[in-house]
Amino acid sequence: MTDGADRPLAGDVADLLAAIERAAADLGLAEEPARFVAALEAGAPRDDEPGAAT
Amino acid sequence: MTDRPLWELAADVRGGTLSPVELTEACLARIARLDARLRAFITVDAARAREAARERAAEARRGRIAGPLHGIPLAYKDLYAVRGLPCSAGTKLDQYFVAEREATAVSRLAAAGAITLGTLNLSELALGPFGDNAHRGDPQNPWRAGHVTGGSSSGSAVAVAAGLACAALGTDTGGSIRLPAAACGVVGLKPTYGRVSRAGVLPLAWSLDHVGPLARTVRDAALLLGLLAGPDPHDATASRRPVPDYVAALAVPVTGLRVGVPRNYYWDGVDDAVVEAVREAIALLGRLGARIGEIALPDPRVLVDVANVLARVESAAVHARLVREQPHALQPAVRARLEVGFRIGAVDYLQAARLRARLTRAFLPDVFGEVDVLAMPTIPEPAPTLEAVRAGTTDEVVRRMGRFSRLTRPWNALGLPALSVPCGFSPAGLPIGLQLVGRPFDEATVLRAGHAYEQAAGWWRRRPPLD
Repeated sequence: MTDGADRPLAGDVADLLAAIERAAADLGLAEEPARFVAALEAGAPRDDEPGAAT
Repeated sequence: MTDRPLWELAADVRGGTLSPVELTEACLARIARLDARLRAFITVDAARAREAARERAAEARRGRIAGPLHGIPLAYKDLYAVRGLPCSAGTKLDQYFVAEREATAVSRLAAAGAITLGTLNLSELALGPFGDNAHRGDPQNPWRAGHVTGGSSSGSAVAVAAGLACAALGTDTGGSIRLPAAACGVVGLKPTYGRVSRAGVLPLAWSLDHVGPLARTVRDAALLLGLLAGPDPHDATASRRPVPDYVAALAVPVTGLRVGVPRNYYWDGVDDAVVEAVREAIALLGRLGARIGEIALPDPRVLVDVANVLARVESAAVHARLVREQPHALQPAVRARLEVGFRIGAVDYLQAARLRARLTRAFLPDVFGEVDVLAMPTIPEPAPTLEAVRAGTTDEVVRRMGRFSRLTRPWNALGLPALSVPCGFSPAGLPIGLQLVGRPFDEATVLRAGHAYEQAAGWWRRRPPLD
């Protein structure tokens, strides 16, 4: 299987890192980990939507 | 009494028709009667629970109600720093984790009036989706002894399912709240990353760790989330976003709610009974007025790879001293997973973290432009036997772990709110969970969908055959 969930072992590290390297090949230069939290905040419901704070 | 939803019990305490002493004694009696075989607790703090119950009862008689959980007995995964109690984190060490202060989540529930019964069993270091623990005794599935409970918050799910506590807190790094909730037939909520402070909770992998409740009903989970959520000066990742009234949001009908059913990945290799139960649950949401549609999700396999890298490196860093100084104190599968982290370099780790940011930014508009909630199974199979999950080599055991949590892990990588709600039983009588996933910080919609389904389906009324 090629499922990522099946690459949890020491013997799988090379495959796992190769997969990360392939996926990261075209990352923008300005991409940084902190943009993850920024994406969550930006993706939250707007104030006029049902999930917004009341 | 201990079978009833938390919100009902809390209302009775506030109304003066139920004494905190009576309720606490009922929980302690049940623990005394059942926990030798269920193994939900690591530490039962009966003396302090009784003392707190007497204080809460006296306060209630004087009309002084601390908050919405006044006099409600709760318990905490043994990963939380609880004032006056040791924290083993499921290791063989009695006191592995010593925090600077009590976990913010515990303090907030105590300030709302909750009573602490004790700390709960878990997979060692919260590193295992089956919930078993050779050091502390294997928690038993209340629906069928000899079957796994799901993990890592195994004791939390068992305590709630068996009526040993009115609700519990767990942690979720790859499914550790939702997996045991599904396997034990209770509700489990992993909130959005940053919605609930993790201060005072032993990390497993801080990029993926979430704090959340396990409870009998969705309404109970909504009540608890409202008390837990919010900023915390002790946790820089805790969001400053305002906290909605999650309980009030449950009253909004699901009419017109767009429910997306993944076409890819989330049904691959899933047990027939699970497929049938979850498909029927989704159909019921449709009959309640939700608009059901299929959706092709971005390939989750790269998300799982990202989560694997982050989890392995961060957990190795957190527990480096234990792994290096006392490797034989760890269970073989736990040690094997931790050791992987030492073989991943800093650049690969950071590439995974950068990838996560880009994948999240792409996922949110692509998917939540089309749907409000995603629906799928929580676990690919009903709870297997303890014997089955331990069979074979350590490598085989670890691969089995990966497959068991393959439907929950992508949502930790994306940090999205995800709820598991009971949605039926296998032919062998083991619970099945429906997983609902929403937009960031939109727990209100996820809870609303879960509540509507739960109340219409009625599975929550069933109790495990323990008496």
